[in-house]
Amino acid sequence: MTEETSHTFTVHDPIGLHARPVGQIVTLVRERGVSVTLRDSTGKEASATSALRMLALKIKNGDSLEIIVESDDQALALGLAKAIEALVNEG
Amino acid sequence: MSHNEITGTGVGSQAVVGNVFLLETSDAVFEHQKTTHSPEEEASVLATAIATTAAGIRDEARDGGKTAAEILHALLIILEDPELQEMAKPYLSTGDDASTALFKALDVVSELMGDDEEFQSRVNDLRGIAARISAWVRGIAAGPAIPQEGQWVIVAHDLTPLETSQFGDSVVGVVTELGGPTSHTAIICRALALPAVVSARGAMGLVQGESVLVDPEGNRVIRGGGMVDATQALTFIPQANGPLVTVRANIGGLADATTAASTTARGVGLFRTEVLYLSASTEPSVGDQAASYTEVLKAAPAGKIIIRTIDAGSDKPVPFLVLEHEQNPALGIRGFRLQADHESFLVSQLEAIAQAMSDTGRDVGVMAPMVATVKEVEKFAALCAKAGISQVGIMIETPAIISVLPELEGLISFVSIGTNDLSQYLFAADRMHPRLGELNNPWQPGLLRNVKAIADHAQALGIPAGVCGESAANPLVAIVFAGMGIDSLSVAPSAVEEVTRALSAITREQAQEASVLALAARVPSEAETAVRGLFTPAG
Repeated sequence: MTEETSHTFTVHDPIGLHARPVGQIVTLVRERGVSVTLRDSTGKEASATSALRMLALKIKNGDSLEIIVESDDQALALGLAKAIEALVNEG
Repeated sequence: MSHNEITGTGVGSQAVVGNVFLLETSDAVFEHQKTTHSPEEEASVLATAIATTAAGIRDEARDGGKTAAEILHALLIILEDPELQEMAKPYLSTGDDASTALFKALDVVSELMGDDEEFQSRVNDLRGIAARISAWVRGIAAGPAIPQEGQWVIVAHDLTPLETSQFGDSVVGVVTELGGPTSHTAIICRALALPAVVSARGAMGLVQGESVLVDPEGNRVIRGGGMVDATQALTFIPQANGPLVTVRANIGGLADATTAASTTARGVGLFRTEVLYLSASTEPSVGDQAASYTEVLKAAPAGKIIIRTIDAGSDKPVPFLVLEHEQNPALGIRGFRLQADHESFLVSQLEAIAQAMSDTGRDVGVMAPMVATVKEVEKFAALCAKAGISQVGIMIETPAIISVLPELEGLISFVSIGTNDLSQYLFAADRMHPRLGELNNPWQPGLLRNVKAIADHAQALGIPAGVCGESAANPLVAIVFAGMGIDSLSVAPSAVEEVTRALSAITREQAQEASVLALAARVPSEAETAVRGLFTPAG
């Protein structure tokens, strides 16, 4: 069983999680080749390889968002989750 | 004058004169077509078309700016998402070709995203790229390049980031058939300070090279117009503490409810419940449904909430309701007509709503979409009574129900006019048809006079009449409706402030005067010009 690393943060973007950061997340996750899931505060999940599923979470400004990375390398996993946070909140 | 005008939604306030440059995508790209290939063969055509087109666009886009490139990249990622091809499969299996299935899958995505304005503003961008994919599938050539010399007004169905990135100094204005005020086209035009009119249905009828005035403040394009014809800016300064009539918000789910709660909307005038069901593959239990409604009711802005029961059809499918393919979905089994085959689902929906009402204590009315007969209303009222719902209403979308409204005394306690569908059915004009935009213009006397008739019928019945169609998002149209005796308006959350401001800046007498002028008009432009004139400062 692969380890799961979870990282939760609040989305700070006036228009929420939108197309541009979502595109960047897909590219980043594909490059790293690990399994990453986004989970909203209601428990709804989306694979980070599907732009459509992530957009369908309809994450808004101020919502909390959890990033779950499946990897035995916890440091790498947390780094990736934080990189995704940066894309979401700076994108 | 009216034949020389095309109306739409203005972006910016500075007018400009230029020559039309048609950036035409052949209609053949958008046509719905069938194929003789097997669904599997066609699925592989679609996959190849997406991959090839995306690679081509990435090659061309290397010179673009950083933001434009990132947006383009994001759009391509969405189109390349295997989920999208999964969504196209049901259409492929009905014999649709790859292009048709792709466009229909994008429609499903658009419906899924509901009132998410940021996404809706991208949907037309996605369709623009899908048009390139379709051109590849069907072997249709792409159009010519924009000349570097001259003063051109670019006219197109819609513009993709790819196309706007090619704009040089010779481009002075933009007119598109599609795209809303938050579309990519509108955003880029604002950024480049290019006057634009979007959603200008009929724009593709302009002739290559002809001179036009782009008049964003007047929400129009005037063929052969000069700067002297440009419209003066209108500003509404709120005088009263509140708007003349209640302004509510249209929502599709929790996210919209939250957005609406951050506006001055007093409640929800239209909660489109089908959005909650579009992604459910099996029928949700009453408990699950009630939990969803409770969430939305809790988040919604203070005030009355009007919930519309499921409004699906074969063009707006819900996975767990089996709907047969129809030649003409707008005239098929949709809205309340689904009740005939799916009564148990409707019963469960009403039970869930009633449960959420008692859990939250909110003031809720429930209305049925697409009713045309007294018998249907009787049936709906009986189902609501059984579920313990007392505030029962109907959407007015079919012309047939208008004349029998007096027969509904005692059955319903409110009506809500869906002006988009009402226009479509009054004028027998497909609201999505790019060339029939003029018939779906909210200033059409044929529509305005029917809205007035509905307001009068409702008054005679002693029940409130609201408007929840997009038309009410236009502040001038909103004023006309208020003057006719419409009691409440419901608009997208983004339009709430503007409509509220306009309705707080005028007196009831002014609104009534506006409605009298609009109702007396023979053609749409006459109605709009007369009403605009009322609120245009002299001089």
